[in-house]
Amino acid sequence: MSRPSDAAPSATTARAASRYDTVRLSHGSGGKLTLELIEELFVATFSNEPLKALTDAAILANPGGRIAFATDSHTVKPAFFPGGDIGRLAVAGTVNDLAVMGATPMYMSAAFLLEEGYDMSELERVVRSMKATADEAGVAIVAGDTKVLERGHGDGVFINTTGVGFLADDVLMGVDQVRPGDKVLVNGTLGDHGIAVMSRREGLDLAIELESDVAPLNGLIEAVRRVAPNVRFMRDVTRGGLAAVANEVVHRQAYGLRVFDVAVPVHELVEQYSEMLGIDPFLAANEGKVLLIVAPEEAEAALGAMKAHPFGREAAIIGDIVKKPEGVALVETAYGSRRVLEMPIEEQLPRIC
Amino acid sequence: MVEATAAPQAGTGFRPDTYKDPELVARLQSRIAELAASVARPVKLMHICGTHEHEMGRYALRDLLPKSVSVLAGPGCPVCVCDNEYINMAIQLSLEPGVILASFGDMLAVPGSIPLAGERRGDVRMSLLDARARGGDVRAVYSAFDAKRIAEQNPDKQVVFFSVGFETTVVAVAAMLKRGVPDNLSIIEANYYTPPATQLLPDLEGFDIEGFILPGHAVTITGLRVYEGLPTRGIACASGGFEPVDVLASIASLLEQIDTGDLTVANPYQRLVKYDGNERAKRELHEVFELAPIRWRGIAEIPASGYKLREPYHHASAARRFAGRLDPLALKGAEHPKGCRCAEVTLGQIQPDECRVFGQLCTPDSPYGPCMVSHEGTCRAWYTYGMHKEQLRVETV
Repeated sequence: MSRPSDAAPSATTARAASRYDTVRLSHGSGGKLTLELIEELFVATFSNEPLKALTDAAILANPGGRIAFATDSHTVKPAFFPGGDIGRLAVAGTVNDLAVMGATPMYMSAAFLLEEGYDMSELERVVRSMKATADEAGVAIVAGDTKVLERGHGDGVFINTTGVGFLADDVLMGVDQVRPGDKVLVNGTLGDHGIAVMSRREGLDLAIELESDVAPLNGLIEAVRRVAPNVRFMRDVTRGGLAAVANEVVHRQAYGLRVFDVAVPVHELVEQYSEMLGIDPFLAANEGKVLLIVAPEEAEAALGAMKAHPFGREAAIIGDIVKKPEGVALVETAYGSRRVLEMPIEEQLPRIC
Repeated sequence: MVEATAAPQAGTGFRPDTYKDPELVARLQSRIAELAASVARPVKLMHICGTHEHEMGRYALRDLLPKSVSVLAGPGCPVCVCDNEYINMAIQLSLEPGVILASFGDMLAVPGSIPLAGERRGDVRMSLLDARARGGDVRAVYSAFDAKRIAEQNPDKQVVFFSVGFETTVVAVAAMLKRGVPDNLSIIEANYYTPPATQLLPDLEGFDIEGFILPGHAVTITGLRVYEGLPTRGIACASGGFEPVDVLASIASLLEQIDTGDLTVANPYQRLVKYDGNERAKRELHEVFELAPIRWRGIAEIPASGYKLREPYHHASAARRFAGRLDPLALKGAEHPKGCRCAEVTLGQIQPDECRVFGQLCTPDSPYGPCMVSHEGTCRAWYTYGMHKEQLRVETV
């Protein structure tokens, strides 16, 4: 939190609400209101020693090994959607970026860009959701910043999170570790987040019982790596969906990635609404999914570890790495015919008919 | 007679999986192989619906056909055949102060013929997205009713709905207009009626298509009777649904007709299509709209192939309402950019990869012609699903 220069930090308890119903420009100006917001909302909720110190920088313990460092900014419409909200998204997104590199996420910063007039109780809900997600992932939100944008110059709330994790010196993962014959896995149904959020967008309002999959995946990933130490590559499947990740894997590589259409888990509702809206579930966004490429002899163990975890119950082996065609991601249909799985081009928009 | 499925069993309800069933697909695949062997010469078929091309790509259905059977895409993409005049009109109106232009998402990136100033990359024209970037209030909607809602919420603005599409889409617009709309809503009349275009195709020089897969959505409305003239001109017809089983059943039906020489308008998609269509939808449609000549982009002006508002609904016509504010000269213009072969692609005269700009100057992220824009577009489908690449031969360890 941007610290006002001479205000002595005082012990605070989590008083339910700020004195104000809405965010004011003064909440971001570094004065009295800023301090109030920091102490009564952020410090009280995130509640950890480095943050309570309200110093200019958080001083953190170093458990050793290499540092993994990632940042991500978050905006989502609507900010609250079935299965999650922008707060959970902001924490889980950065946790997942660190975890897929093989790191143990530990610390995080949170910077808020708030629009003047933003509902204070909504902000409180977002912050509480961030805390709950951070606890779930075992990370501490130790630093932050608040800025307030004039009304009309923001969209309610934007959140940037930056995370730090640590990884052992011998962790070796990447597309250059991938070999033909390796298996491709995901931890569950694809496209849930994209369709859940789209269903609540203005103009669609589909009353469907579908929840976003937004979740921190470091626990699941740790469980997999315990039984499958030779994971070749991991990436969280987010915007652009499976198609984007599959293409990032094969880009300029001397191997191809083959997905078996029928092996990919897709929620029944996602299947139905994708058909109705003319959207491809393989291109739809996810916020709690990871794609893993694993040595063939470790694939079953990795699958078992995921299925035993709450965020991996519907995990599946969805494909393999092939010698040819090189540099291509392809889909093999239930009929044995094949097509290219092309990199997504633009935002997914509902079609005419 | 080939049908997409056996009669539905009582109490089982609609089971979409049935129409993707690999076993049914395999059976149809071998039936098609048998028929093709019996016909014993190359046969060209054509579908007339962008969704068919999309599904053929998505399930790689051409991979399942014998070499002697080819399926081409005809003029079945509403976005691709929508004339420049309407795109230019939408762009002009979107840039008018106080106007909200509501359009289906597919239409937003389609270039009309207004040059895009400052572009050096060939003959590049303006789309609604470019208009939006220049301050136009352009909104993507899912249906005509969304446009109505926007009009209700913005009583001080003029809301123009870009009504593009075939028989299927125009029915919803008719239903909306018949039930009454706010005064500040008008529509750009760019709806097309398919049958006259299909009847024009056999007159084209070098036309050698022997069967049409009729557009499943459109014939749900119009029925099949309107296509009865085609078999007498040597073209087999079969209604076509959109699941893999549906598409293959239609192909099998066409080959059966060609093999026996007994050409007709068959209805393998009978689970949705009635021979006379949807009477109520047709009635409402014809209360609000009448058929008039319309230009199909890059093809021709075809008589009685466009839906125009009847006199009692003229108040909802954007062309009439804004007549004084539109620049008539800017509405017209060269149909396709230089080097673009969308017209031939739309008529099934060439495959997309025979066009020199395909995949080079013209890609989905930077489309040159309309067929590369919409998901219904043939070039777009070919690009997305890699139909232009050699069959994807897989080699494993």
